[in-house]
Amino acid sequence: MIPELDYAFYVWSSYGIFAIVIAWQVIQPIARRRRIVAELREEMALREGEYNDPHP
Amino acid sequence: MIWKTIKVGFHRLGSPPTFYRLCRNLSPWLWASFGLCAVIGLYYALYVVPPDYQQGDSYRILFIHVPAAWQAMAGYVVMAILAFIALVWRIRTTEIMAMMCAPVGAAFTLICLATGSLWGRPMWGTWWAWDARLTSMLVLLFIYLGIMGLYAAFEDRRKGARIACILVLVGLVNIPIIHFSVEWWTTLHQGATIRFFGESSMHPSMLPPLVWMTIAVKFMFAAVLLDRSGNELLEQDRRKGWVRGQVGDFT
Repeated sequence: MIPELDYAFYVWSSYGIFAIVIAWQVIQPIARRRRIVAELREEMALREGEYNDPHP
Repeated sequence: MIWKTIKVGFHRLGSPPTFYRLCRNLSPWLWASFGLCAVIGLYYALYVVPPDYQQGDSYRILFIHVPAAWQAMAGYVVMAILAFIALVWRIRTTEIMAMMCAPVGAAFTLICLATGSLWGRPMWGTWWAWDARLTSMLVLLFIYLGIMGLYAAFEDRRKGARIACILVLVGLVNIPIIHFSVEWWTTLHQGATIRFFGESSMHPSMLPPLVWMTIAVKFMFAAVLLDRSGNELLEQDRRKGWVRGQVGDFT
């Protein structure tokens, strides 16, 4: 059974804002961690002389 | 014996590698708990509970507005406790956690203000009023943003954190002002309908989604706090051996 959730614009907008802010709180730390890890790997590769510059 | 174990555990958390491991291991469980509680809460909020006899379905905004408002204030209290510990005992991981509370608390304050505005329009006939509750909540958002800005303004992160921790403790005065604003002043915002001590004026059938969503945002706050704290620690310690030793293990 599919519920009929025909609520007003105000209700859905509120839940939408909640979802967007939550999504940002999830995505932002993941993106930051990926960036830090990529930088660390690059630094280590440079230090060990294994780095291949894609734009020499 | 128990006290000694707690003390040792507390000291171990001051160690960056141990703290980082804790962040990484605990975070998925907190996210899973948030997801579970949020699904149950949203199911109740949008489908199970009946419409309000005066407000109709518009009152369903309450199930995200109130948990967000409570978490915005609770998050500040957590941040203040961490800031106090950081200033007194100079524990770096506590400093980092205190600073990472600010963006999460700001997010909840933003949700509270935005949903309150959307709820105010059909109920009060206005998006915004400079009443004591709304204004003090806006001040909370500015305090959160101020803490984030102050922390980011210093190249020396520890110095920035210490100064921002002082601002956190000063800003704590705003929390009782928010809480009692509806009693101290005549406000457009309604008084408290849910009381932990005493009788609530809210119908009991409306309580389950509120409780589930409140628990959900608490789990989310903890999860984001640990994620952000772990990242900050990684960034600050990037030149240290324990981080470099783990680069191969990163997924």
